[in-house]
Amino acid sequence: MLNIVACFKWVIDEAYIRKGASGALDFSAVDYKISDYDRNAIEEAARLKGLHGGSVTVLTANAPEASKGVKDALSRGADQAFFAGDPTFNQLESSQTASILGEIIRSRIPYDLIICGEGSSDQYAQQVGPRLAENLGIPCISYVQKLTIGEDGRIVAERRVEEGVEVVEAPLPVLVTVLPEINIPRIPGVKDTLMASKKPVVAIKKEDLPPVGAALLQTLGMTATRMERNCEKFAATPEGIAGFVEALQKRGLIS
Amino acid sequence: MAGILVIAERKDLAWELLNIGRQLASQVATTLTAAVTGQEDNAQNHIARGADEVLLMSTLPEGQAFDAWIPVIAAEAKKADPDMILLAATARGKDFAARLAAHLGTGLCSNCIALSRGEDGTVVMERLAYGGAAVQQVSCVTRPVMATIPTRTFAPAPADHSRSGEIRKLSLPSPSPVRIVARKVKERSSQDITEAKVVVCVGRGMEKEEDIHIARQLADLVRGEIGCTRPISEELHWLPDDLCIGLSGVQVKPDLYIGLGVSGQIQHVTGIRGARVICAVNKDENAPIFQAADLGIVGDLYDVTPKLIEELQKATRR
Repeated sequence: MLNIVACFKWVIDEAYIRKGASGALDFSAVDYKISDYDRNAIEEAARLKGLHGGSVTVLTANAPEASKGVKDALSRGADQAFFAGDPTFNQLESSQTASILGEIIRSRIPYDLIICGEGSSDQYAQQVGPRLAENLGIPCISYVQKLTIGEDGRIVAERRVEEGVEVVEAPLPVLVTVLPEINIPRIPGVKDTLMASKKPVVAIKKEDLPPVGAALLQTLGMTATRMERNCEKFAATPEGIAGFVEALQKRGLIS
Repeated sequence: MAGILVIAERKDLAWELLNIGRQLASQVATTLTAAVTGQEDNAQNHIARGADEVLLMSTLPEGQAFDAWIPVIAAEAKKADPDMILLAATARGKDFAARLAAHLGTGLCSNCIALSRGEDGTVVMERLAYGGAAVQQVSCVTRPVMATIPTRTFAPAPADHSRSGEIRKLSLPSPSPVRIVARKVKERSSQDITEAKVVVCVGRGMEKEEDIHIARQLADLVRGEIGCTRPISEELHWLPDDLCIGLSGVQVKPDLYIGLGVSGQIQHVTGIRGARVICAVNKDENAPIFQAADLGIVGDLYDVTPKLIEELQKATRR
């Protein structure tokens, strides 16, 4: 029986960010989502529970609006959620997130295995998992593409590194961060969503936690990347394609 | 001591970090230390390339991984109290850096693409956020300032064999509970697309694995290499992952990029931003790729590509 904790972040869906005037980012039309690779983390937790039994707890520290994300996470095979929601928990820096999650896990959630996504879709700092492991004083296995748990209760993980794959083994408890190729996250159905509303959510107030330290990294500026080009569009007609090839020739790209 | 510490698991990574490290160290006349794996005969090379001191991380016992060194380096860093610590943004480097930052209670700028010292001495670091849609500028309010730097952001530091420095061998760490039980070296694709002059990219608009030959035919004609978007390599496994172009894959900078059935998600576009001319074939005229492209054909790749090949053949024959 495994106690698995999957951590997730509720983030702005970057596909909806527009470039505003004078290079500022325009968030006026954005939607939110569970950070992409955190969906893989939750799926992997649910998959391992399916194989070995136990429980899956999902955990997030976020702005109160993330309650939508908590429900989404619960519709993905988790049994219960811990949600530290506070307006000041919006846009936390990695070290702050890791310290809040660490505090909640240490004091409230029994665990054998903690799973995080390798990085978040918004900041992609890839730090929360490894920092959380250090905060809890447990081994960390990052960038995992395959996870198995042996009968002896040891975890075997395929960790992706630049020159290939390292297969590593460690005793539980352990924290892993997962790559998107580890699984294909489910798309929750209506039934899953309905069931999710009945699952327990433990709300944690900021006041119930030790004071959160200041951000160690300060954001000085955030500007839209310049990448618009003046696309000249051609039709898929013989003339269009000929025009396209001519344009390539003019730019000296084919000879 | 103050100073700058670079930490690397391979010598080529150390040399890139020594390049930027030397630049930053010279600005404020401080020392540059390199903690690098390897043997003593290598250490002299690191000194030639800019290190004032080399901390040698000698070969670990079988089954131990690079991250076993974290407590040893953390102890060294606490003792030496450097102003700045730099690592390469490789899988091992990023993992090492984040855990070391937690040990030291300091901030870390991940995947830092530029760093400079402001007039007041603050180090300003740049990185991409929101899948590459934004450039974020950060500074670290604690010491040491830490950053991981993507490989090839800086050239290897040039060697000057007249330089001298100290070499110190670090004592081996206590064994980590995480043990390596096997290694699989990945088969490299025959070509390195990061150096290709022309890249033809396969996107999700490609319906079947065997249809990749259409892209290959086009690539052969324009003497290019094949690349792909994330779903093609990671979900469908039609192409190896070292051909996956994007923020978390490889970044390419060809003269010509042609996307076939590529929708143009921001993460992918971030990987092709360095291309001189970006072309796209996509049947959806509202696909985001057309905003990132210079030239586009609105049409089904299955219809357009053969005609394009024919037209290119005609043009090159003339």
